[in-house]
Amino acid sequence: MNDFSELERELRKLRPAQPSPFLSERVGEALEDSRRSAAADPTSSWWRFKEATRNWWSLGFGLAAAAILILFAAVTMERRHEHQQTVAQSSPAPETQPVPLGTERSISPSRFVPAGGSNVVYNTRDEGLHFADGSERPVRRVRYNTRQTWRWHNPETGASLRVSYPSEEIVLIPVSGQ
Amino acid sequence: MEPIASHENWRNCFSEVAPGLLLFARQWVQSAADAEDIVQDAFVKFWRRKHDIDNRGLLYAAVRSLALDFIRRDARRARREATVLAETEPVIEPHFELEDDTQSALAAAVESLPRDQREVLVLKIWNDLTFSEIAGALGISQNTAASRYRYALTNLKKTLQPQ
Repeated sequence: MNDFSELERELRKLRPAQPSPFLSERVGEALEDSRRSAAADPTSSWWRFKEATRNWWSLGFGLAAAAILILFAAVTMERRHEHQQTVAQSSPAPETQPVPLGTERSISPSRFVPAGGSNVVYNTRDEGLHFADGSERPVRRVRYNTRQTWRWHNPETGASLRVSYPSEEIVLIPVSGQ
Repeated sequence: MEPIASHENWRNCFSEVAPGLLLFARQWVQSAADAEDIVQDAFVKFWRRKHDIDNRGLLYAAVRSLALDFIRRDARRARREATVLAETEPVIEPHFELEDDTQSALAAAVESLPRDQREVLVLKIWNDLTFSEIAGALGISQNTAASRYRYALTNLKKTLQPQ
């Protein structure tokens, strides 16, 4: 193996030419200019203003939307309550008979009934052909990314419950040669 | 070495790196004035973005990128550079402050190296970059940088051997 340490020492003794004395001054001026232009740049300050106002507008719209939703929910609940009171007033007097325990449970205010569900596929990926479990017939594997949402509704109180979660489904589609 | 960009006095930092940077820039442009313009632009960009010493390779990458842009931008100048290169002896000349004949011979040997080897040599010897930093600055692998350096030294040794 070659030993280059002596050569490296000699090379380090060579000193590169110094830059002109004006270069340092020019760099100083350029740095100062860039600092000044960054501080006084009307486009950058306008951009900052725009960003700030955009954020405030977003916040305002968000709050307004939330307030409208709350009002809507409150009005809906109020109407439902009034409707239930009207039905109660117009219906005949209930018979005074003992209610079985099971029935009592079924009309309990904590009872929720399924109100629907949805399964939204937001991504599909074709993973090509595979041979599943040593099978000689190829299958095409398709992966679905979905978001499933289930809703329950309590008819007594008007409350609703919604559960949403992501899920992944792999479907194997047999491929036949022609 | 202190972090370049966090150093309050940019002048100290600049005076420390400027000769090496200038030598590096002159790998592509003949004119010292053009090389100084490139070094100035690269250093101002580097300083404004507050890069630290860990990213020192970026400063050299910026010099290289600006030098290549400069050549591409000014085709007429590039042709003139090419004409000068064709007319004069070896390729682009790094400039050294020479003290004696031994150093002149050594400088001439460096100048006769292929450009890819000379680039690495300039960054390693006169800019104290590690092979990792050289690899980052030149967009090559660390092994390539190390082997180019080894080739450069081998070639220099051959050139300087008494016949």
